[in-house]
Amino acid sequence: MITRRDLFKVAGVGAVALAAAPGLVGQSFGAKKISIDDSLKEHLGVGLSGLKESNLITIKAPTIAESGANVPVQVSANIPIEQVESLHIFADKNPNPWLISVDLSPMNGEVFLATRIKLAKTSPVRAVVKMKDGTLLAAAKEVKVTIGGCG
Amino acid sequence: MHLTRRDFLELAIVTGAYLSANPVSALANMKYEDIMRFKPVGNVTLLFTTDTHAHLDPLYFAEPMNLVAPKKLAGTPGYITGWDFLRYYKISPGTLEAYFTSCVDFPKLAHKFGKMGGAAHITTIIKHVIAERGRDKVLVMDGGDTWTTTAIGTFTEGKSVVDWMNYTKYDLFVAHWDFTFGKEIFLKRIDDLKKGGCEFISHNIVDELWGELVFKPYSIREVGGVKLGVIGSSFPYTPIANPKQFVEGWSFGIREEQLQQFVNELREKHKVDAVILLSHNGLPLDTKLAKVVKGIDVIISGHTHDVTPQAVRVGKTLIVIAGSHGKFVGRLDLDIRHGRIRNYNFKLYPVATNLVPADRGAQKIVDRWKAEVTKTHKLNEEIGTAEVMLYKRDTFFSTWDWLVGEAINDYYGGDLDLVLSPGYRWGTTVLPGQKITRDHVYDYTAITYPNVYVLKRTGKDIVARMEDVADNVFNPDPFYQQGGDMTRLWNVEYEIEVYGPQYKRIKNVWIGGKPLKENKEYLMAVYGGPPPPPDAVHPDYKSVPVYDILIDYIKKKGNIKVRTKPNVKVLDAPYKTYEECFGT
Repeated sequence: MITRRDLFKVAGVGAVALAAAPGLVGQSFGAKKISIDDSLKEHLGVGLSGLKESNLITIKAPTIAESGANVPVQVSANIPIEQVESLHIFADKNPNPWLISVDLSPMNGEVFLATRIKLAKTSPVRAVVKMKDGTLLAAAKEVKVTIGGCG
Repeated sequence: MHLTRRDFLELAIVTGAYLSANPVSALANMKYEDIMRFKPVGNVTLLFTTDTHAHLDPLYFAEPMNLVAPKKLAGTPGYITGWDFLRYYKISPGTLEAYFTSCVDFPKLAHKFGKMGGAAHITTIIKHVIAERGRDKVLVMDGGDTWTTTAIGTFTEGKSVVDWMNYTKYDLFVAHWDFTFGKEIFLKRIDDLKKGGCEFISHNIVDELWGELVFKPYSIREVGGVKLGVIGSSFPYTPIANPKQFVEGWSFGIREEQLQQFVNELREKHKVDAVILLSHNGLPLDTKLAKVVKGIDVIISGHTHDVTPQAVRVGKTLIVIAGSHGKFVGRLDLDIRHGRIRNYNFKLYPVATNLVPADRGAQKIVDRWKAEVTKTHKLNEEIGTAEVMLYKRDTFFSTWDWLVGEAINDYYGGDLDLVLSPGYRWGTTVLPGQKITRDHVYDYTAITYPNVYVLKRTGKDIVARMEDVADNVFNPDPFYQQGGDMTRLWNVEYEIEVYGPQYKRIKNVWIGGKPLKENKEYLMAVYGGPPPPPDAVHPDYKSVPVYDILIDYIKKKGNIKVRTKPNVKVLDAPYKTYEECFGT
């Protein structure tokens, strides 16, 4: 559960994230689709094959989104902050998969980011932690965007 | 007696049962005492009902012929039905237990054993157990889908059911369809419940903006000299499966990490002797949840309407679910000492209306509300006769839904290319030869957003929608399922590979006998889902409640005969037909 204080803490980080993500606003879903591989290459220098699957990273997100336009996502990692350079979130199936990049420093205390993302459709939500030694640790969780209406 | 007199007399004469004081009892070779027989165990009794869907009156309700499963879940509880169910649980065909738990020979057995459920009959069982065990040893719980989807529930805004719950002295409650009265009425009703001593608990409803809990997540109860921590979980996908506006500002979800925290909190901080989850998650989802979350002793499940004659064991967790429509009262006795469950005994009492007498006080409540609603809605009016069995539950197809399609198309002048009917698992069953009443129609359709909408949709959109629902039904991971059945499509034939990859399951589709064209626009009627945006609704076709359309159509036709042959071909999994289960 996120407490109010956590949320404010995150809001601070979020501001950094938004500043680091120019072009997010105004990015229309009608634009040309960028593949996850190309997007990773653009922002991290390597594609999917360059990511190392890690169970140290935890993604908290709904399995089925209540609204694709506003999906709460929380990423944390059980990795000493001193070893971490930055944290990135992607959604494979979005027209532009890149969502957020945040530079982290020991001042952040821990690897933790809670934010809200937009999903065009059902997609893996991918969190990538870039280590100071250049290693890219990653985890993914599928979030389903559905029309709903049964049950 | 709830048999038609003629059927009953014939049967009674044939079997000699007319000599007996209670003929149904003689036919069933069972008495009330036999139904209530149970070997008490330990110091704690959990009594529970779920998904009664506001059926205060007894009814017929057939279990499904099919529960088509994702490949890796096939054959597990939640996906066993019909003959397989009887074999799995070693139940003899033709018995009262078989009648309650499977579809096998349902119409025939319905004539033999009569109706099922009824709130006043449930009360009798609950009171009986409380009298036997002592109030201090018993916790009475309901798993939700309790206040709406019948005339008596919906048109009294759930008040009739809450009155009965308070009379019966329920202790704890979680919800799903109950939210569809909207927040204001919902909150009023849980306040009414509270006055009667029943608490609504849910750990998985939070303020959308701040993430703070909206309700009490759990309740700690002293039962039988031990401390029980009961956590509530309301339906995780309420704002998705039902219109979001009813719960605007609340966010739901499975929230398994949060659940783990509450389990730990109950154990470490409150030192409870056992942790119980009262859930409306659905049996498959709860079965996975028991693997993911550590430290839950018992899950009282709901939502998917499954019947578990024996508890499902996942690690150290026991999972049970008491069917639907008031057909069962579940009883789980636990011997809990020093924070450990040492022994248990479990039973689903079949609420056989003719064998379990009605509680007089509860019956009075039901009768009073029934009379009230009958005044405005003429519930007993006979509007037609069923020539085939009308039922709703199945993975893909039902006679009731086909009738709905015909009726809606007829109402809109025969202009429609297709009709989409929601894959709810609730409704009723009308036996072949039985009179159809208005009440039956409401049993299938009385929701708080009953309107039918006519829209234009391209073939491509229609397939996308089918794929979307198919994944909510056949996703191999229960955390991604919504626990309903496939949308029913009238005037459409299609083939499906249920084991197929996500969004690639639907194979061939024909509309009105012709192959579906991706770019062609089709005129489609929908109801029972989140309402379409107003500008999408075709202006030439007025939106009206689906029950009004049906009542008029059934009256006009008189004798109702619809196809029993499914319009869906399952290419990669077994799919049984009407005759295989219900008999010819």
